[in-house]
Amino acid sequence: MKKLFYIFLFFFVAEFVNAQGCSDAGICSIGHSFDTAEKQTKNIIEVATIFGKGESDISYWSPFVSYTRKISEKFSLNTKVTFSSADGDFGTRATFGDAFLIGNYAFKEKNNKQWSAVFGWKFPFTSSNKKINGYSLPLDYQASLGTFDLFLGTNLKYKKWDFNAVVQIPVFNNNKNSYFKEFSGTSEFPSTNLFRRKSDALVRATYSIKTKNEKFTFKPHLSFGTRFL
Amino acid sequence: MKKLLILPVLFLLFACEEQGDLTKDGFNLASLNQSAVLKYHGTFEPTSGISVTGEAKIYLENNQYKVELDGFTISDGPDLKVYLSKAPTPNDFVNLGNLTSATVYNVPQGIDVSAYSHILIHCQQYNHLFAIAQLIQN
Repeated sequence: MKKLFYIFLFFFVAEFVNAQGCSDAGICSIGHSFDTAEKQTKNIIEVATIFGKGESDISYWSPFVSYTRKISEKFSLNTKVTFSSADGDFGTRATFGDAFLIGNYAFKEKNNKQWSAVFGWKFPFTSSNKKINGYSLPLDYQASLGTFDLFLGTNLKYKKWDFNAVVQIPVFNNNKNSYFKEFSGTSEFPSTNLFRRKSDALVRATYSIKTKNEKFTFKPHLSFGTRFL
Repeated sequence: MKKLLILPVLFLLFACEEQGDLTKDGFNLASLNQSAVLKYHGTFEPTSGISVTGEAKIYLENNQYKVELDGFTISDGPDLKVYLSKAPTPNDFVNLGNLTSATVYNVPQGIDVSAYSHILIHCQQYNHLFAIAQLIQN
């Protein structure tokens, strides 16, 4: 237990995402799964939350819990569970989103540079068809897109910088969303009945700042995501 | 450590739904007035293991087709939809929305109703057909 550290991350995030247009945790939230585990740490638990504003004045509260276990010097496994609450004109809908299982293999460090490769899966807790009072909701109110996704990526750690490039590929679609703009009373969201998601790609740069006692790590990052298939 | 393990349980407690302006009871309900003309009708028949009663009636009112479920009851099911279908199976259809306590459903403009022969009640999430009404021209 001595080796268990609690790292609370505060995100100073500037994200420019042209992706699926919904609250799916997905690719934009897995950056820390791709970090090489702290060298002296065998177990890491991350607890964080994200507050956000979306389209049509929707407010989001999206906490997650993540556990990273260093299996060996080179290999670590990360699991994460997300939750999301969306609040807007349709009302409030809150539920679990997705579970992630991500493996990270770190290659030997050379000249302050260390490459690592990642491979993982996303498992949805919902089929993206949560309703309020029997009314179907747009994807913006769904905690998950309901897809089983594969993650493939690489990370370059250079001094205090981390550079990630990741793709998220939907392998099995279980999206049962049944939202129709025509029956909703608003035209602010597109119809997403039986939505089919496409692949996403993300590039992220992160800079790590540790406090003097090394108990806290601050990781501001800049991300660029896009739908590319 | 125990406090951290309690967190997922707390998340679960927060899992909830609360209705808003666009999801209030009775919001966006279609209605039928006395000038509506009955064009088609059919009696609902259940599929295996389902209980259903009532009729589907299609009215024309001010150039707007509307489907009325008259005397309608059906077994409970998740994610039930009302389909205007070209066959007794949900292959080629127009989705008229969620089956709710509403009895009238608007047919979208531009749909040639004469090309459709059935009203279906279908569970979209689990792809299970609940009830079929074959339409007869009035």
